[in-house]
Amino acid sequence: MRLVAIGFMALFIAACGSSKKPDEKAFLESLDSAKTGPTIDEEVISSILQQIPSPLEISVLLKESGTKYNAGILNTSENLSKYNSNYKKALNLGVYGTDLGYTNIYEQNQDGLKYLTSIKSLADGLNIGQFFDIETIGRLATNSKNLDSLLLITTQNFNSINHYLQTQSRANLSVLLLIGGWVEAMQITCQVAAKDAKNKELQEKIGEQKIILEQIVLLLSFYKDDGNMASLLKDMEELKGAFDKINITYTYKESTMEIVDGVAVIKDNSTTTINITEQDVEAIRALTNSIRNKIIS
Amino acid sequence: MKKVLFVLTFISLISVGTIELNGQCNPDNFANACIPKLASGFNFLKSYKVDGEGGSKDKVEYSYVFTKGTQYMINLCANGAATDGIVVTLFDSGRNKVATSKINGQFISAIAYPCNATGIYYIQYTFDGSAGKCGGSALGFKR
Repeated sequence: MRLVAIGFMALFIAACGSSKKPDEKAFLESLDSAKTGPTIDEEVISSILQQIPSPLEISVLLKESGTKYNAGILNTSENLSKYNSNYKKALNLGVYGTDLGYTNIYEQNQDGLKYLTSIKSLADGLNIGQFFDIETIGRLATNSKNLDSLLLITTQNFNSINHYLQTQSRANLSVLLLIGGWVEAMQITCQVAAKDAKNKELQEKIGEQKIILEQIVLLLSFYKDDGNMASLLKDMEELKGAFDKINITYTYKESTMEIVDGVAVIKDNSTTTINITEQDVEAIRALTNSIRNKIIS
Repeated sequence: MKKVLFVLTFISLISVGTIELNGQCNPDNFANACIPKLASGFNFLKSYKVDGEGGSKDKVEYSYVFTKGTQYMINLCANGAATDGIVVTLFDSGRNKVATSKINGQFISAIAYPCNATGIYYIQYTFDGSAGKCGGSALGFKR
């Protein structure tokens, strides 16, 4: 009978032992920003967060449109030591994430490795370093043939970090991470557009960010009781003011579909037209630059 | 006898655990399995869990901002080779239907959507005669 009791005890211990990760406590204790909870259900926040597109899409667009690689428009990895609060760490984790994606797309592995080190350091500082597989990414980054795997694993790692933060009821850090990434992607796009003022596609790409900025302002409004978040919200509302001049007209027309090699291929007959001027782009560029400088300084 | 009792108790406990695990939906596994099934040239963006929670949910919905000039692919993975009756339907921000993976009664395992209009889109998963009501999906993009 004693054996049965031991068996039950062993199963009980095994079941209980898997419920809590060892560094979870340290993570929760380490948060120093936005301790005031959001004023809305966190499920709503998660559903808005998941809408924000990956900054990688912008980098792919720039490369495929023939824009040359320019490390000078990125945030230098040497700024890492400036980021001491969790507010700054989360924002700049997003910034460096976008910069890493940009270097990866352009296959600039040496620059990419510097960002990897900075990202790992910031992630460790936020106690989410366990989700960033720096060894695998570093190995993949040494060979340009591994580009697809490199992009896949970095995207998966950032998705895991966001998912973890949201399940830990600390979506505020996830909000900051995504905003940092978006601002950096905006900064890169605006810098490229400034040198190619007649590029209509780039202007439209900037103009359509109005839709994403509206979601960002909404997300930040849930955290306005926190001083840092309130200040960021004020900056983003000012930027939204510049975007308010841009008109996006959507026309729905039923799409058509056909099956090609087992895939349903859609022909989208709907359209959007984005009315944006060079002056609008310049105003947005100046405000984005100002916000980005506050974030990275 | 004590040894026999121990072995039987242990086996029954393990069996209960196994049955429970088999009965549960593990959409993470399906979502992860879907990522490498994105067609060549597509960059992975998101993986989605499709869990009908044993029938208590009749749809699972996510949203994402799709941008003009980008081609997206959404695929489906479920138990077995087919989609097990899981259908993915894409709606625009005005809830107009843009695409579906069920065409003329045929369940298709992937949608390719070259986006022509930037906006928030709803990616909705429904269960049409699905046995497991459990699956996963991946979203990718290419220019």
